Amino acid sequence: MSWIGKSPNRKEDVRLIRGQGYFVDDKQDYGLLHLHLVRSPYAHAHIINVDVAAAEALPGVICTLTGAEVKELMPESFMELGPEPAANIQDYPMAVGKVIFQGEPVAAVVAETPALAADGGALVDVDYDMLDAVITAEQAMEDEEVLHESAGTNKTWQGVYEYGEVDAAFDEAATVVKIDRMHFHRFASTPVENNAVVAEWKRHGELDFFCNNSFVGFAQQLLAPALGVSVDQMHIKTHDIGGSFGNKISNYTQMAIAALASRKAGGRPVKWAETRTEHLLSSGHGNERTFLDTEVALDKNGVITAVRSRHIDDCGAYPRYEPLGCVIWSQVLPATYGVRNFRIDFSQAVTNKCPAVPNRGYSRMQHLWFMERIIDICAHKLDIPADEMRLRNYITEFPYTTPNGCVYDSGNYPAMLEKAKELIGWDDWKKKQADARAEGRLLGIGIGTTLDSGTNNFGQARIMNPHLPFSGNSEVATIRIDLQGSVIVTLGSGPSGQSHETTTAQVVAEELGINPDLVRVRSGFDTGWNTFVGHSGSYASQFAVTGLSAVHGACEKLKAEMRRLAAFILEASEEDLEFGIGEEGPQLSVKGTDQAVNYWYMGNLVNNDNAVLAGELGDVTLNIRHVYRPPFTVPDVERKYGNLTLTYAAQLHIAVIEIDRDFGHPRILAYAAVDDCGTVINPKIVGGQVHGATAHGIGAAIMETFQYDETGNLLTSSFSDYCPITSMNMPDVQYGSIQTPSPFSYSGAKGMGEGGGAPLHTVSAAVQDALITEGIIVTDSHHSVTSVFELLRSKDESSGVQVDKR
Amino acid sequence: MYPAPFHYHRAESLEGAISLLAELGDSARALAGGQTLLVWMKLRFDEPQHLVDVSRIPGLSEIRQQAGDEVCIGALATHAEIARSAIAEALPNVLDCGSGIADAQIRSRGTIGGALGSADPSCDWPTLLHTFDAVLTCTGPEGTRTIPVSELVEDIYTTILKPAELITEIRFKIPPENSGGAYCGFKRCAPAYPTASAGVQLTLEDDICSAIRIALGSAGLTTITSQEAEAVLQGNPLTEANIDKATEAIVAAADPVPDQRGSEDFKRAVLRTLVKRAIDIAGRRCHGEIIKGHHEYV
Ligand SMILES: Cc1cc2nc3c(=O)[nH]c(=O)nc-3n(C[C@H](O)[C@H](O)[C@H](O)COP(=O)(O)OP(=O)(O)OC[C@H]3O[C@@H](n4cnc5c(N)ncnc54)[C@H](O)[C@@H]3O)c2cc1C
Repeated sequence: MSWIGKSPNRKEDVRLIRGQGYFVDDKQDYGLLHLHLVRSPYAHAHIINVDVAAAEALPGVICTLTGAEVKELMPESFMELGPEPAANIQDYPMAVGKVIFQGEPVAAVVAETPALAADGGALVDVDYDMLDAVITAEQAMEDEEVLHESAGTNKTWQGVYEYGEVDAAFDEAATVVKIDRMHFHRFASTPVENNAVVAEWKRHGELDFFCNNSFVGFAQQLLAPALGVSVDQMHIKTHDIGGSFGNKISNYTQMAIAALASRKAGGRPVKWAETRTEHLLSSGHGNERTFLDTEVALDKNGVITAVRSRHIDDCGAYPRYEPLGCVIWSQVLPATYGVRNFRIDFSQAVTNKCPAVPNRGYSRMQHLWFMERIIDICAHKLDIPADEMRLRNYITEFPYTTPNGCVYDSGNYPAMLEKAKELIGWDDWKKKQADARAEGRLLGIGIGTTLDSGTNNFGQARIMNPHLPFSGNSEVATIRIDLQGSVIVTLGSGPSGQSHETTTAQVVAEELGINPDLVRVRSGFDTGWNTFVGHSGSYASQFAVTGLSAVHGACEKLKAEMRRLAAFILEASEEDLEFGIGEEGPQLSVKGTDQAVNYWYMGNLVNNDNAVLAGELGDVTLNIRHVYRPPFTVPDVERKYGNLTLTYAAQLHIAVIEIDRDFGHPRILAYAAVDDCGTVINPKIVGGQVHGATAHGIGAAIMETFQYDETGNLLTSSFSDYCPITSMNMPDVQYGSIQTPSPFSYSGAKGMGEGGGAPLHTVSAAVQDALITEGIIVTDSHHSVTSVFELLRSKDESSGVQVDKR
Repeated sequence: MYPAPFHYHRAESLEGAISLLAELGDSARALAGGQTLLVWMKLRFDEPQHLVDVSRIPGLSEIRQQAGDEVCIGALATHAEIARSAIAEALPNVLDCGSGIADAQIRSRGTIGGALGSADPSCDWPTLLHTFDAVLTCTGPEGTRTIPVSELVEDIYTTILKPAELITEIRFKIPPENSGGAYCGFKRCAPAYPTASAGVQLTLEDDICSAIRIALGSAGLTTITSQEAEAVLQGNPLTEANIDKATEAIVAAADPVPDQRGSEDFKRAVLRTLVKRAIDIAGRRCHGEIIKGHHEYV
C-alpha cells in the first residue's frame, strides 16, 4: 500500500473541526494579565509627551510601558537585515520619540482583564507634533523628509542586477516597447487568526513564549539580543496557528513588548491578542513595487531578448526583514521565459506606512506580475495572440539555468497552457468574445503563468548584505519508537494550516509500511523538543522538500537501527527482514516465515529492558534526530549569481472577465487553474492550497487594497472597508494539474502553497484584454470596481507605452 | 475592541423600557440587535453609561398582514426573520432588501427598528420603507404616535424621536394589483454596507405609471427621494426616455459622499445603473414576471 499520492483525512481536522484546536488566545494561566497597545493616530509625528498617570491609577491596571521605557529596557534595538545605512535604523517595538506610521504602538497598558487594559489605554494621554507624511517610495527617495535620522536617508537599499549583453540586445532588437510606469499594489493575506502571544518572563530568568510566530528559528535570533537573554533561555512554543502566509514571521516585535511587560509585572504571564483593525493597520502589509522606465527588446518573431527597468520597493516604516525582498524576486528573474539579458536597477525606500512583511508569493509575485504584464503589453502591441506570445517565449528545456544562475528543476508550461485552455473551453470563449466585441461589450480572456520557487538558499541574503551570516537551508525532524512502541514524530516547521501532521504521517507510513493513523505527529513547535535549527519555520513553499526530506532521512536512520535490533532479536540476517503490520501491530518480520517482532517489544527492550541487549547494540536508541540540508553553495555576491532556490512549482491560470461599461464592475465569468508541484504527496491538501492561493490572488486583484490618504491615514482598516474575498465573490474554479517530478528532491515533490500570485497576473491580463478595444493599457495590479471605473473614464490611449519598430 | 464600562439592564416590557430610559436620561441607549450600537461602542465612538436591552420584550417582533391589506412588522423583527416571512414571499423587494443586508450573523441579530433608529443612510430598510410610504408607530413617556418614515430622520445619525421614545411597529399597505417593487444594492462584499442602493415601487395601469416611489440609500446624508423624478413617471408610460429623465432627476438629487467605497462620480454612476435596473425589474414584476434581483457583489 503506497501512501504517497493519496488523500487520507487530515489528522489536524480531528481537533480543528470539533472546536478542539488550541490557539494562543485559548490559553489560560494562573495570574494571566492582558496587554493593550495605545497606537498613534498619526502617520508621522514627534511624540512630545506620554502621560500614563491616569491609566496607572485605574484599579486593575498593573503597569504601563512607554516607548522611552522600552528603549531603556532593551539592551539593543532590533537587528535590521539590510546593510548600512539601513542597518543604523533604531528599531524598537514601540515608537521612541517619533512615530513613523499610523498604528505604531506608543504605549502599553497591562491589566487584570482585556477590558480594563483597554480602559487604561483610553486614559493614556499622548501629545503629538504632526509632521508631513511621505506616502510613496518615489517621494521618499527624494529624501526631503527623512524618516529615520539614524539612517540619514529614506533609501534603504539599492543594487543593479545585470546579466548578459543588454545594450547589444537592444541595438539588435526588431522592436522596443517602453512602459513608463507600472505599479503593484499593497495588500495582505489577512490570516483568520490575528497575531497573539503569551509571554512569561520568569523571575529565575527563563522566558516562555506561547505564540503564533511562523518562523521561530529566525525570530529567536532577533529576540535574544534585543531582550538580553540567550537563545536557550527562551522557550518558544506554538500549537495551532490560524494562517500566517508569511505575515506572522514579523510578530516578534509584539512578542518583545509582551515579554518586557511580563518582566515589569513581576513575572506574571501577559497575553496580547491583536484585534482585526490593529492587524490591518499595523501588523504588516505585503510589499508594494513600482516599475519605472521599463524597456523590452524583441526580435522579429516577438521573442523577448532583453529587459531593462528600474524597480522600487516601498517597505513602509521599518525595513526589518524586508530588504530580503530586494533579492528574493531574482529567484524568478526571467519568470517562465527564456530571456537572457537583463538590467534591473532595484531600490527600496521607507515610507510612513505600515511596515512591509513577507506575504504569500513574497517578492517573486511582484516580479512575475511585471514579467506577465510585459508579455501581454508586448503581445497586444505587436498583435500576437497572448497564448501564442507565451508559447514563443516559454522555457522548454529542463533543468534550465537562468541568467543569474538559478536552476529551474523541471516543468512543462505549454502542457499546462493546453490543459487550462481545455478546462476553460478556450475556443468557445474566443467565439463568445468576438460576439461580445461586435456588440460593444467588454469581454477579456487572460492567461497568467507563474512560478512558486521553494526552498530558499539563504545565501542570497548576502547579495543584499554581504555581512549576513546566513546561507543554505535546513530543517529537522525527530522520530522515535517510544517505550510503548508508538511512532512519534516531531517537526521543526511550526505549521500554520499546511497539514504537516498529515503529510508527515503519510511519508512515515510509506517508509515503515504502516498506516498514517499509527503515526503520532506532534502538533505545533516547541524549542524544548530540540527539533529545530535557525531555518526552522513554515515559509517560502518548502515543507514538501525540506520538512519531508528531514522526515524521510530520519525514517531511513530509524529503519537501520530497527533492522539491527530486529536481526538480533529474531536471530535473522538484516537482509531477510521486512517492515509491515502483523497481528500484533507494526512489526519487522523475517520474509517468508511467521517470525516477527513488534514495535512495542523493540521500544520496551531499548527503554526498559536493555540488559538483554548485546554490547554492539549499545548505540541503538530508536530516537533519531535528522537534519536535511539541500545541496547549496554560497552565491557569488559580486555578480549576484547562484542557485537561489531548489524547486520551481508552476501555476497557469486563465480567467474570462466581463467589464460593465456603466460603472466598471469586473465580473469573472470563468476561471481555470492548473498546478504543477511535481510529485503530489496528498492531492486534497495540494488542491486546498491551490484554491486558497487562488482566492487570495483574486481577492487581491479585484477587492483588497491598503489605501492611504495623503496624510498617511489608512482608509481600509476594517474588513468592511478592506473587503477580503469571501465565497460570495469567488468564481467557480476549474482545477487541474500536471506533475513534472523534481530531480532535486528525494520524492520528486516541489515546495508549493504560495501560488506565485497567479490570479493577479491572470486578472490583469483579462482586464487588459477586455479594455484593449478601448485603447487602455493596464499598468496597475488592482482592479477593484472603482479603479476599473477610473480606467474606463481615463480612456488614456497612450498609458505611457511607446512602441519603437526598427 | 472593548467598549467603555457600562451598566446593562434588561427590559421585560415596553413600559418598563420606556420608564427606565426616561429615568436614566441622556446616558442611556436602547439596545436591540446591537449590530450598530455595539460596534460604535467597541470603537469608543459612543460611550453610554447604560444600555437598556429591549430585544426580549415580548410581542414586538411579530410580522403579519392584517385587515385592509396592511403589513405590520414589529420593530424587533430581525432582518433574517423578515427575509423568510410570508411578507417577503409576497413582496420580492422585501426579500431583496432583507437578504442582502450584511452577512448571516448580522442578519440574525440586527432588527428593522434598530436600522431605523440608527438613522444611518447606508441602512437598507429605511430606503425600502420610503418606497412603501411606511408609517412608524412610536411609544414614549408621552404616549403613542405615528410618524411617516420620511419624517423620522432629521440628519445623519439623528432621528426626531423624543428621549425614551421607541419605534414599536412599522406599517405599510400591500400595493394594489399591477404593482411591482424592486430593491437593488451594490456592495463590495457581505460584511460591507452597500456602496449605493435604490428602491422603486411602481403601479402600472395600461402601461401608464399610476403610482411611483423611488428612494436611494448610501447616496447622501439621509435617504434621497425626488418628487421631480417621480413626477416624470407619474401618469406617463415607462418609456426609455422617461426612465432616463427620472433617473437623471433622482441622481441629481443625490449627494453621495466620496470615501473608500468610491468617488462622487463613481457613486453617481452606480446609482444611475441601480435606479434603471430597479425600475426595469419593478416594471416587469408589475406584469407578474418572476425575477430574482437584489444585491450584487464585486
Ligand atoms: C459589518 C456590518 C455590516 C452591515 N451591513 C449592513 C448593510 O449592508 N445594510 C444594512 O441595512 N445594515 C447593515 N448593518 C447594520 C445592521 O443592519 C444593524 O443591525 C442595524 O443597522 C441596526 O439594528 P440593531 O437591531 O442591531 O440596532 P442596535 O445596534 O441595537 O441599535 C442601533 C440604534 O438604534 C436605536 N434603536 C434600536 N432599536 C430601536 C427602536 N425600536 N426604536 C428606536 N431606536 C432604536 C439604538 O438605541 C441605537 O441607537 C451592518 C452592520 C455591520 C456590523
